[in-house]
Amino acid sequence: MTTPAQQIADVFVELSGGTAGTPLEVPELLATLARCSPGLLGVRAAGTVVALDDRAEPQVAGSEDGAQLLKQAALKWGEGPGTDSRRSGRPVPCIAFDGQVARQRWPRYAPRALELGYTRATAFPLRTGERSVGALVLLGSAADAPVSEEKAALAQSLADFAALTLMRDHELHASRALSSQLEYALNSRVIIEQAKGVLANRHSLTVDRAFALLRGHARAQRRLLSDVAHDVVEGRLDLG
Amino acid sequence: METRGPSGKAAAARRRAAGAHRRADRAEALAAQQEHFAEQTGQPIHLRIAATHRKAAASHRSSAHLQEAYAHRLESWQSPAGPPPPFMSVVADACGTGSAALALLGSDHSQLAVAASDDPSRAAQDLEYVLGEGPCRDAAAGRRRIIAAGPAIERRWPGYGPAVTALGFGEVVAVPLETPDGCLGSLAVFDPRPGIARSAVFTEITDALVRTVLLGPDADPELYGSTDHRDTVHQAAGMVSVQVPCPVEDALALIKAKAYADGVPVNEMARRIVHGKLRLA
Repeated sequence: MTTPAQQIADVFVELSGGTAGTPLEVPELLATLARCSPGLLGVRAAGTVVALDDRAEPQVAGSEDGAQLLKQAALKWGEGPGTDSRRSGRPVPCIAFDGQVARQRWPRYAPRALELGYTRATAFPLRTGERSVGALVLLGSAADAPVSEEKAALAQSLADFAALTLMRDHELHASRALSSQLEYALNSRVIIEQAKGVLANRHSLTVDRAFALLRGHARAQRRLLSDVAHDVVEGRLDLG
Repeated sequence: METRGPSGKAAAARRRAAGAHRRADRAEALAAQQEHFAEQTGQPIHLRIAATHRKAAASHRSSAHLQEAYAHRLESWQSPAGPPPPFMSVVADACGTGSAALALLGSDHSQLAVAASDDPSRAAQDLEYVLGEGPCRDAAAGRRRIIAAGPAIERRWPGYGPAVTALGFGEVVAVPLETPDGCLGSLAVFDPRPGIARSAVFTEITDALVRTVLLGPDADPELYGSTDHRDTVHQAAGMVSVQVPCPVEDALALIKAKAYADGVPVNEMARRIVHGKLRLA
């Protein structure tokens, strides 16, 4: 059975932040992807995991309590289809949890998944390019039909879309931080030069001597050079 | 590693060019992959992702070309007596002119630093600084491209217009250096090659400049040693604020007004004050 185009479009709209178009924060996006996937892809449950860079603590979400618990367990043990897919950047094709392969690959994860009522899983990486920042895991129960090729392609598209949204958000934050650092650096340079001029004139010093005076005071008082400079320029500090 | 002096600087620019080419290649490969996915799945999302990668690739490629041109210029530079050619000279060249300047602006759109390709574009930035009006400020404030030519220049900016026309310029184009949610300043290009101001090339150059100045592994707001922070002007403002006495902002306005009235570059006026040759009190 094909998935109605409207249903697919609605999910993409929701992942983009709804009709308001306000970008979702990382936890919301993960939760939305996990929540929308089962209905659209015809599986019992879904889980998501993301870590935007090597230093970031991975975050997880699940479409139901069991999926949430399983994702947390996967994270703790470093096992499971989502972990594998995130690390390899490739999809993990459908694997049954009671089979030999699953028990060997995920000795702790596979039994736990069975306990929670899931019989098999398929995972798709959240690809951003050469690396993957997370994974979408589809969890099936005995009652579900296997994930068709068409649904698998759709699942990968959803994962790619989520990955792009996450990377855009990440880049936006990085660029915002760099911009404000740059503006701060440029502004402090101005105030420091002004303070040099104030001190040079006030105490008949060269600008270099004035700077030494300014820096000496900042060091002795353990204050930021630009804060001391600000006080000098505003006439709150003399350094005579 | 030798990075000071023209040959070291050229080698560094070659390395940055190679890095930018690699990033452009990677982005193009990713775009091709996404276009392939789009064909396979029929999902338009992949085309949108591909477009993002294509845009990034174009910007990296443009960066690489600027760095290559900069390296080449440094390598063929023959007059060790003067300062080496500034990075902005290759930006100007890419726009088909000799005159281009970049201004880093504060949140109030005032100039915090400036880099210019040659003396006339530098003089134009000085005019904008001293008069507080002009294309860079307007481009940043409105977040849009400003194009003015001929008599429109004087009509648009009553103070700056006639003065910049007197420098010999007949057209000015200014573009904001936009980040995903902000603006670092503007690029102003004077008498560009006809047609380039509205072209995609121009957009790629400004995108590349944002990466050169701010984003990416090779970003350097000092533009490899050619950014002028007007340190002397701010020192002079500090001195004048004690001499008058007055707030430092008023002292700066006094210095600008005096420089404009005397027809002296503002940096030169400031140097006279700092060296005690002039008091504005």
